[in-house]
Amino acid sequence: MLTSVLLALPVLLLGAILAIALRSNRAAAAAALLTQLVASVLVLVGVADLLAGGPPIEVTWSWSPPIDRIPFRLDALSAFFLAWSLPMTLLGTVYAVGYLRPYFAKGRHGGPHFALLNLVSASFVLVYSTQNALVFLLGWELAAVAAWLLVIWDYKNQKVRFAGFNYLVSTHVGLFVLVAALMLLHSKTGSMDFAAFGPFLAIPSPARDTIFLLLGISFALKSAFFPFHTWLPRAHSAAPAHVSALMSGVIHKAGLFGFLRFTLLMGRPDEWMGWSVLAFGALSALFGVLHTSTQRDLKRLLGYSSTENVGIAAMGFGVGYLGWSWGVPALAVAGFAGGLLHLVNHALFKCLLFYAAGAVYRAAHTVDIERLGGLARRMPWTASLFLLGALAIAALPPLNGFVSEVVIYSGLLSGAAPTGAADVALVAAAALLAFVGGVSALSMTRAFGVVFLGNPRERSIPAGEDPPAAMVLPMVLHAALALCLGVVPELGLRLVRSTVALLPLPVDLAIALAPLGHLVWATRALAVALGVSGLVAWWRGRHARRTPTWGCGVAAGTPRMQYTGSSFTEQFARIFESFLPALRREQLPRGPFPRAPGRVATHHADPVEQRMFEVLGQGEEVVVKGSARLSEQPGLAFAGGLLVLGLVGAILMGAVQPW
Amino acid sequence: MVTLLLHALALLVLPFLSTGVIHRTRSLWSGRRGPPLMQSAHDVLRLLRKKAVYGDCTTPIFRIAPWVFLVTALASAAIAPILGAPPLLSFAFDFVWFAYVWGLGRVAIMLAALDTGSSFEGMGSAREATFSTLVEPALFLVLGAFCLTSGANTLSGALALRPVLGEASLAVWFLGVLALIIVLQVETSRMPVDDPTTHLELTMIHEVMVLDHGGPDLAAIQYGSAVKLQVGISILATLLDPWSSAGGWLSRATHLTFCLGVAVAIGTVESLVARLRLATVPKYVAVAVGAAAVALLATTWQAGSTP
Repeated sequence: MLTSVLLALPVLLLGAILAIALRSNRAAAAAALLTQLVASVLVLVGVADLLAGGPPIEVTWSWSPPIDRIPFRLDALSAFFLAWSLPMTLLGTVYAVGYLRPYFAKGRHGGPHFALLNLVSASFVLVYSTQNALVFLLGWELAAVAAWLLVIWDYKNQKVRFAGFNYLVSTHVGLFVLVAALMLLHSKTGSMDFAAFGPFLAIPSPARDTIFLLLGISFALKSAFFPFHTWLPRAHSAAPAHVSALMSGVIHKAGLFGFLRFTLLMGRPDEWMGWSVLAFGALSALFGVLHTSTQRDLKRLLGYSSTENVGIAAMGFGVGYLGWSWGVPALAVAGFAGGLLHLVNHALFKCLLFYAAGAVYRAAHTVDIERLGGLARRMPWTASLFLLGALAIAALPPLNGFVSEVVIYSGLLSGAAPTGAADVALVAAAALLAFVGGVSALSMTRAFGVVFLGNPRERSIPAGEDPPAAMVLPMVLHAALALCLGVVPELGLRLVRSTVALLPLPVDLAIALAPLGHLVWATRALAVALGVSGLVAWWRGRHARRTPTWGCGVAAGTPRMQYTGSSFTEQFARIFESFLPALRREQLPRGPFPRAPGRVATHHADPVEQRMFEVLGQGEEVVVKGSARLSEQPGLAFAGGLLVLGLVGAILMGAVQPW
Repeated sequence: MVTLLLHALALLVLPFLSTGVIHRTRSLWSGRRGPPLMQSAHDVLRLLRKKAVYGDCTTPIFRIAPWVFLVTALASAAIAPILGAPPLLSFAFDFVWFAYVWGLGRVAIMLAALDTGSSFEGMGSAREATFSTLVEPALFLVLGAFCLTSGANTLSGALALRPVLGEASLAVWFLGVLALIIVLQVETSRMPVDDPTTHLELTMIHEVMVLDHGGPDLAAIQYGSAVKLQVGISILATLLDPWSSAGGWLSRATHLTFCLGVAVAIGTVESLVARLRLATVPKYVAVAVGAAAVALLATTWQAGSTP
């Protein structure tokens, strides 16, 4: 069965070559779609048995030096990630066919773009199935570079190039850290095989702690955790919608895959690791969600929400770590299952939301929340699908986001920790998760309400319409799955079950989550009641009398006087001013009879990015000033050089010293 | 079956009765006779006979939202101790479900408000969104603290917590009740957070969001709000009532008496206290979060003191 998965690689590469070689966009798209479809089927056939609980499969290929042999190994974790990554990339490619059509009409050749989408799929196969660190890095880099090239589709725009470059630099900083961790592992084990890492990582040692931290930072950069998220909102707002969707929903999940892969190699973690993963996740969730509340750019908003959602998943993994280290299997299972489930759920609704945002962009040529309005009446499909995704991402029942959060809550609120203080910390984390859910509901209400409801805010924005079928179809499929996993969570749990079973814990997922059975039925009953009452209300009101909205607060002025996105969060942003610094540029009218018109522009900057650029900017100054002085004072240069030499030497000594 | 019928009957009568009692209390405080106790039921019936009118720019969301709100309110009432413990339904982590179901109803109403394109309604929607985010952590801290103290994982289990003099549970209970009062004031839009009877749109929260609803839709919202209010009153009454977990008719009777007491207390507060300025509401809610956090910390003291 592993052959079937690995067979997907040449198929995808063939598709990539064809896509570049073929002249017509139609043929290139067809080549990419067909090969991705074949690859998806091959992969699904290959992993079906593993998802049902089959044993892991291994194959070793001989290769020329320096790699010698490439061990491939498919276990439930690989199967879990492969099972949705490739089909979702396929859907993204279907969407791309519709989304890029206006560019094709202008004569742009889309072949390389489709080829890159194929390469992204190929990188999943490599990263998720290999056991060799070098091949893992190869796949990792392939995904990173392909994603960069996909982001800069609109490369003539300087902003897009900057966003792409920003992403490229960040992702490579992460790569260096990853390489450092793998080199450290190599130096300890003399091998590049994951299988050889296992026994070393299983024994607690300071080296293990260092490697854990290095890997954590690298994977956090990949998955855009706070404070390593700064590249993400930029890249997401610059990229074409399907690329943002795939990056946020699918590609960057590789970071969490890496985290889980090394968790499995490491075995039972220390308690501090659990706490740090939980705290790190909570911080990301909090920071990400606070920033979703103030964004003007719909796609940036969704980008921050990725940081939030990987944070929520990491909170689940943190609970899992803690439960494992304390020896409370039920807690560990709830944490890991909730986290894994949230990954799939996030991929489902985040791609849906990005696709809908892309449909908005296609129709209105902007995703600036403050300028849009009233799109629901012109784009009913997009609006209803976006609404579904928004409700799902705000974790509201009966959709899928609720299910994974409830599983995580069931861990946090179980009161199963060994000490009272730990229990209190977990409950506090649950309260934080509740706050995150509340803010997410606020942001999503704001995003949907301002963009799709009310009246159009600007006349200059073209009256758009729903996108073509190629774009609607992926959205509908994602939405259907989001609803399906919300009402029938057993499906999602079945998907993660064999992965959770990889953990050496004496408890089955079904038994650990049995207490949630009643809650699932209550949610189902709620779904039915909501569906019936909604349908009746919709049916009955079809021919009701229509009048203008009640005049007070509406009548005079222009539609621009409607409540905007920034007025919606004004009070909220003021409460959390310290996290959400507002930038205000104003030129107020002067004097009693002002001639020049005044203007005020406000926006919320990312404090981390601001600080980073500040430090980078100043750092340059420091270096410039320092080096200017060096030529005047050679003695200082010598002293400085000695100091640096000493430091580097000390670090190297520390690194080689047998821990 | 009998319990189901009893609960259904209670849900048909009690929400209106509590609203009536609050109105009557307010009237008495201001020296008036006040409307009949079941006046709000008459209002709802009258609205049901009317036809709805919809704004020009509204979408089907505007029509559906009131009924979503009503369904969520009724769903939350199924796990709340409307007739005292035990509630109709009780399952593990039902309070998480409860909080998110209320969240769904809230989002529905907020979206319907934005659907009208009216700035006033947008204003109400923004306020509701802002305050509810602040309330959410307080609710989870309180219920989490109650669960840790009583070892339960259901709403009714958490509410069965009784203070024992000289033990940490007293602090947990007292601070928890304090925080819950504020939480429920915000969630059910009561004074001093929101004035349900004000006439100035600029100062409203909940009422301003439903300005454009009429006919059966408005009836659904009014009934839904009354149900939510009753759920809140029942939760507080269960916590205050020392006999609530005894079961049987006696505990039902004491529960209803305590519900009446809470309603009178709400009416009294609304007569004597002025509404807070909107800018101070977050600080008021912060009191709830703080109290709830201290309640949670108090559980460790208890956990440490018991061997």
